[in-house]
Amino acid sequence: MRVLVLPVERGWYAVPMDSVDEVIARPEVALIPTAPSSLLGVFNLRGEIVPLFDTAALLETGSTKTGSHIVVIRSTLGRGGLLIHHAPESAELEEPVARAKHRAGVAVYGVGERLVTLLDLPELLGTKGAAGAFDFGRNSR
Amino acid sequence: MSGSSSDAEFRELFAQESSQRLGRLQKELLEIETGGSTEELVSSIFRDAHTLKGAAAVLAFEDVARVAQAMEDVLDGVRNHLRPVSAELVDVMLLAVDELGSMVAGVLAGEDRATDADRVELRLRELADGTPPLEIHRVRAVSTPAVVVPPAASRDEAVAPLAPVPLELPVAPHAGVLPSMPPEQPAPPTSGYPRVLGDTVIVPSGRLDELIRLVGETAAAQLRLGAIVEARFSSDPSVVSAFRDLTQVLHQLQERTMQVRMVPLSTITDSLRRAVRDAARSLGKEVHWEVRGGDTELDRGVLRQISDPLMHLLRNAVDHGIEAPLIRVTAGKPAIGTVRVHAMQLGAEVVIAVSDDGGGIDLDQVRSSAAARGLEVDGLDEDRLLQLIFRPGVSTAERVTELSGRGVGLDVVRAGVEAVRGRVEVHAELGKGTEFRLVVPITLAVLPCMLVESAGQRYAIPMHSVMHVQTRAGAAVTEVEGRTVLRLKEGVADVFDLAQVLWGVSERPPESGYLVVLSVTARRDAFIVERLIGQRDVVVKNLGGLLPRFGLLAGASVEPDGSILLVLDAQGLIDSAAGSGKATAAQGASAPDVEAEIEADSRSSILIVDDALTVRELERSILERAGYDVRVAGDGAEALARLAEARVDLVLTDLEMPLMDGFALTEAIRADHRWGNLPVLILTSRSSDEDRRRGLEAGADGYIVKSAFDEGALLAAIVRVLGPTR
Repeated sequence: MRVLVLPVERGWYAVPMDSVDEVIARPEVALIPTAPSSLLGVFNLRGEIVPLFDTAALLETGSTKTGSHIVVIRSTLGRGGLLIHHAPESAELEEPVARAKHRAGVAVYGVGERLVTLLDLPELLGTKGAAGAFDFGRNSR
Repeated sequence: MSGSSSDAEFRELFAQESSQRLGRLQKELLEIETGGSTEELVSSIFRDAHTLKGAAAVLAFEDVARVAQAMEDVLDGVRNHLRPVSAELVDVMLLAVDELGSMVAGVLAGEDRATDADRVELRLRELADGTPPLEIHRVRAVSTPAVVVPPAASRDEAVAPLAPVPLELPVAPHAGVLPSMPPEQPAPPTSGYPRVLGDTVIVPSGRLDELIRLVGETAAAQLRLGAIVEARFSSDPSVVSAFRDLTQVLHQLQERTMQVRMVPLSTITDSLRRAVRDAARSLGKEVHWEVRGGDTELDRGVLRQISDPLMHLLRNAVDHGIEAPLIRVTAGKPAIGTVRVHAMQLGAEVVIAVSDDGGGIDLDQVRSSAAARGLEVDGLDEDRLLQLIFRPGVSTAERVTELSGRGVGLDVVRAGVEAVRGRVEVHAELGKGTEFRLVVPITLAVLPCMLVESAGQRYAIPMHSVMHVQTRAGAAVTEVEGRTVLRLKEGVADVFDLAQVLWGVSERPPESGYLVVLSVTARRDAFIVERLIGQRDVVVKNLGGLLPRFGLLAGASVEPDGSILLVLDAQGLIDSAAGSGKATAAQGASAPDVEAEIEADSRSSILIVDDALTVRELERSILERAGYDVRVAGDGAEALARLAEARVDLVLTDLEMPLMDGFALTEAIRADHRWGNLPVLILTSRSSDEDRRRGLEAGADGYIVKSAFDEGALLAAIVRVLGPTR
């Protein structure tokens, strides 16, 4: 499976390439009052208003607030941006080497020397099985 | 006119025509059941069934044709006084209408619906003559049936009625041959193309949506252009004539385009009526249906979104609101309950009230249901307790039925309404009835907004919520009961710092900035902002499907410089401010304010006469905000009693009311020497010239049609009669 490998805090996570629209530099972001800490705000992507998420906060591993790159992902509910610290890399996943322990992890794969956790994006964004939206029950301030 | 493209055109035409006729049939059947069994109405129903049958026959949709034929036979008996109109008859006929709708869609897609047709025809034949149908000989469409397509205008008459049984496709005189498509071949996907019907062009809604989106973008582009003109030429763009002309044309384009999306509420009231009727039938209740303001227009998308919530509320009203006839009679009520849908436009919003005269909502039941769900109920006043019915799982009903359970699913109603940036309110009186008010924006795309700055960030506030703006310096800000309040003509408004409400911070010097008073129905609060930037239309977008609705935000907009402007939601701000603990919400005139009471004596007094609670309260809200002292009455008779009690400077009355209507009230006022010169304004949904003439002849000083009125128009009419507020 072709994936994009995202550096988040001290770990590596992967998202399927076919769910990625583009990678952009961090734009100006409008803050949202009462938003949870994992929602950094919204940004303008060529006229479309897109939410920007703190990827580390979603993963409950810290924060990527100071990140420089945004991976724009696409879902049936719309687009969203995952803020990360450094530019991501593409990779090919072969066989998993371990089970993922994170709730949003599918499995752990070896990519060169790195161990990469493949992410289930609907689970990460709290949209799994929901007609609605990002689950604010988690990660709230 | 040959080949499959023509065939497809006629199938499309048939789909369109049958949809219209079935819609009308349903409406007429509901009318005939509620005492409208006139010969004219029966004939009209008969004509519709007959025409539908003819159209189906020429397109070789024999299953549709024979069901329509069976309907005709039933109606023939009614027309010849051989068969009375009963609820059972209407049941079966409505079932046939439903089935025909489904069958038309099916046969157009090439499905075989013979079994469905057999079943419905059997029911109709039993109704028609008490005998089951004879053996049915069907003729399937063959590859080249000689089916004649008469000219559209004369098609109704050109096709002779089919023989009841055995049914075979009629072969009419040749005027042209329409080669048929094989039955298994689905209708071609023509929905993406415009169709022409007479002077009307039917355009796919997706195209309209795209057009509206692009028009919205032109507004944003125009702002960007203005910014460029200002930056490059150091000139105010509004003084450049070419830019001014462009602005004007774009504004007109925007207005006209928005109108394309508008549809009247009446496009769904027949379905709502049907739901009420079917619910009542299944529960053995009798319910009188009433709809007012059906011509109130709102955005097609908004209407579509609130259809299900409306349906849910109406089923609730019949199931859990209206009591069984015996209980009603014992309680001194008419055995027949009433369910009303009442719509009116108020500024940039439409209010749709769903009310019933049933048993109301049992607050004790709400309290125990909420407590059982672990919700905190101690110390809640009645209003707050009532709000709990919108929480998931909180029920006010002792039983849950297949139809509904008041409280069960009301959270879904609220979510549906909030999805279109609307809100739902509930008012109930035990033993007397319940009213749900859905307040939704007329459109979602463009909102006139006031732009403000707070804590260094710009925000847009929808203008329809802005009641009043003033500088903080010199404002009548004072303390009452530990709260900071702004004195207004209408009472007081609690004062909050916008930055504090939004972000929990405040760095502003105590006396700088402005106070923006926001009002939502009868609630109002003042919010401190640093700067007023201006007023303009804002193309409102949502924050993306991945996010839920944030109560404080109505949406956001992309600015000419690419930045994002947050559009605030007045209701959310007021709710959030009330919950912030910084102050206790002051609700206008209800706040204790002795001076305000004294002030009221010197204000002009208006008596609002309307049997609809929603209308009364909305009008009261508008007039109180405008500085009038308001009294209310539920009908003409009560109005006369109010007039005798205290001074009134103007009467604002509805026409359709129980006991004494608006015409009779106006005549009674004119006939009494005490009130001979008292101005009377009629505010009604009846827009005919005849009603207007009758109202003015009765002695009214003005006649305002509700569907067209807004706050400004109402106040202007009052000022014309009374002069400016005292």
